Amino acid sequence: MLIKIAWRNIWRSKGRSMVVMGSIIVGIWALISAVGFMNGFMVGYMADIINHDISNIQIHNPEFKSDQEVKYVIPDGKKKVNEIRKWTEVEGATSRIIVSGMIASARKGSAVQIRGVDKSNEAKVTELDSLVNEGTYFDGIKRNPILLGKKLAEELKVKVKSKVILTFMDESGTPISARFRVAGIINTSSVNLNEMTAFVLNEDIGRLLGSYEIHEIAILTMPRIEEEVVLNKYNDLFKGDLVETWTQVAPELELLNEMYGSMMYVLVFIVMMALVFGIVNTMLMAVLERIRELGMLMAVGMTRIKVFLMVLLETIFLGILGSPIGLFFGWLMMYYYTTNGIDLSAYSEGLESFGYSSILYPYVDSSTYLIVTVSVIITAFIGAVYPAWKAIKLKPVEALHAI
Amino acid sequence: MSIIKAENINKTYNENTIPVHALNHVNLEIDRGEFTAIVGPSGCGKTTLLNILGGLDQPTTGKVTISDTEITSMKDSELIDFRLKNIGFVFQAYNLIPVLTTAENVEFIMLLQKRPKEERDQRGMELLREMGIEEKARQRPSQLSGGQQQRVAVARALASKPQFVLADEPTANLDSTSTTQLLDIMAKMNEEEGATFVFSTHDQRVIDKARRVVTLEDGKIVSDEKR
Ligand SMILES: Nc1ncnc2c1ncn2[C@@H]1O[C@H](COP(=O)(O)OP(=O)(O)OP(=O)(O)O)[C@@H](O)[C@H]1O
Ligand SMILES: [Mg+2]
Repeated sequence: MLIKIAWRNIWRSKGRSMVVMGSIIVGIWALISAVGFMNGFMVGYMADIINHDISNIQIHNPEFKSDQEVKYVIPDGKKKVNEIRKWTEVEGATSRIIVSGMIASARKGSAVQIRGVDKSNEAKVTELDSLVNEGTYFDGIKRNPILLGKKLAEELKVKVKSKVILTFMDESGTPISARFRVAGIINTSSVNLNEMTAFVLNEDIGRLLGSYEIHEIAILTMPRIEEEVVLNKYNDLFKGDLVETWTQVAPELELLNEMYGSMMYVLVFIVMMALVFGIVNTMLMAVLERIRELGMLMAVGMTRIKVFLMVLLETIFLGILGSPIGLFFGWLMMYYYTTNGIDLSAYSEGLESFGYSSILYPYVDSSTYLIVTVSVIITAFIGAVYPAWKAIKLKPVEALHAI
Repeated sequence: MSIIKAENINKTYNENTIPVHALNHVNLEIDRGEFTAIVGPSGCGKTTLLNILGGLDQPTTGKVTISDTEITSMKDSELIDFRLKNIGFVFQAYNLIPVLTTAENVEFIMLLQKRPKEERDQRGMELLREMGIEEKARQRPSQLSGGQQQRVAVARALASKPQFVLADEPTANLDSTSTTQLLDIMAKMNEEEGATFVFSTHDQRVIDKARRVVTLEDGKIVSDEKR
């Protein structure tokens, strides 16, 4: 009967119920959208960097990290890569020869990391080919093709097919200069790739260095395989190399991830607070309007607990009614934007320089819907407690006489 | 033996500011089966007395005993339970829960008393029949006239099988036909079921129907006649 009364009370003042329900709907919808957009920004950005730049796992000579010298190669690197590729936990593995040097066009020069790559395996691990925005993926150039980030190309004022000179030192410290020709320009949200990296082929850089020994192995793990599994397997098999997961390679990403997490909490908290106040307000009105009725109920023998429950139930029902609608709108919006993306190119000049890509793909995982709904209902509950408390503080005699 | 015994009741409002002595040394005993009207001019203390007899309010001094149970020393939560089990209430207005139908309103009090379903249905329908509002069982209070609403309230009060029913000006909002109808039904229930009624009024037609008339003036009982 309490349930019946609470349920029917909802329809008594439709306007007010709509306000509470509406704020629950908007609350859920706003939270889902906010989570979605922030995911789009942050996680998308991180995924970009992990997928295209860092990969899940990197392997180096332990000395290489502090001192990127040509001599710090991975012993038997080629053999190890070939071995790793056979592992079932691994989607792909690629080897790189890395040298620091200078790049110069006819107009300008700049410091770069020269990254020698294994053409087909690099495409598999980092999808470098997919980042090529103009020109080709090392194709169509007979001798010494090179890929440059868009920013770097702009800085050097070079285009596809332009000539650039790379200068670097071999193991013995002898400077080497060689002419390369731009095969393609890549575009990515990673600042590192965009501004400070020049991609060449392992065979070209190896020939120039006089050594094909590799400095870096990048591994893409199979979906849902913990990086640690592969890391441990490698360490068990081959001793003495430095094996790192992406969080160790780029601790700033991990930090970003945590920051993003706490930002979410702040956001959720703000929305919840707004919701609590809205609900407290309207439900308090509902209680005050029914003050004589509540007085009568207590006079004839309804216990305070039951009165409390009745008021609480009313809000809970509104939450239960509002949540699916809010969820639906949130889901609808995510569904649309997750597939279509949001084109931010109108504002993207600024954004891209921070490393964001110009099309944002918001998304939320299914657990978000659950978390958002549960927290909104809990919030509604908290918002209902105070009015319900007020209701049971009424004295029947006074309540009956209230105007 | 009396079911209500009020001994030396005093009630003072606003003790700390401007004291109002609403009741002065009131002594009153009401026996089972009585049909008593509390009458007197406005402000004489009728509502205050009924509230105290019903355990809705506490006297400043004095003692109220209902069937050998002293209620003036009870805690709030005990009083709620006591009222539910022993006292039926009819107020001047706002007696019914607007979102429940007539039948549900009557059933509700029995549900609070945890009575079994068959008893609730049976007693509920029986009472509505007695009140002559059977056909309104599925309607909401807002679809009923004021007189019909008060009859539902009487049915609700009797449904709980209380020791007695307290009614504070139950006819104040009613026209004369409805007033007579309501009083006739109350008198009938008094005769047939032996239900004890204590009601306040300043309506002469209502006073005429009472078997005992207790007159209050300035918080004192000035006359108490049985007819
Ligand atoms: N809550 C209160 N606070 C202060 N004074 C009160 C309060 N309730 C009643 N009084 C005073 O106590 C006196 C008795 O009031 P009461 O309501 O019992 O009279 P009544 O006989 O029921 O009057 P009416 O016929 O108008 O309903 C009045 O003088 C009234 O002003
Ligand atoms: Mg009164």
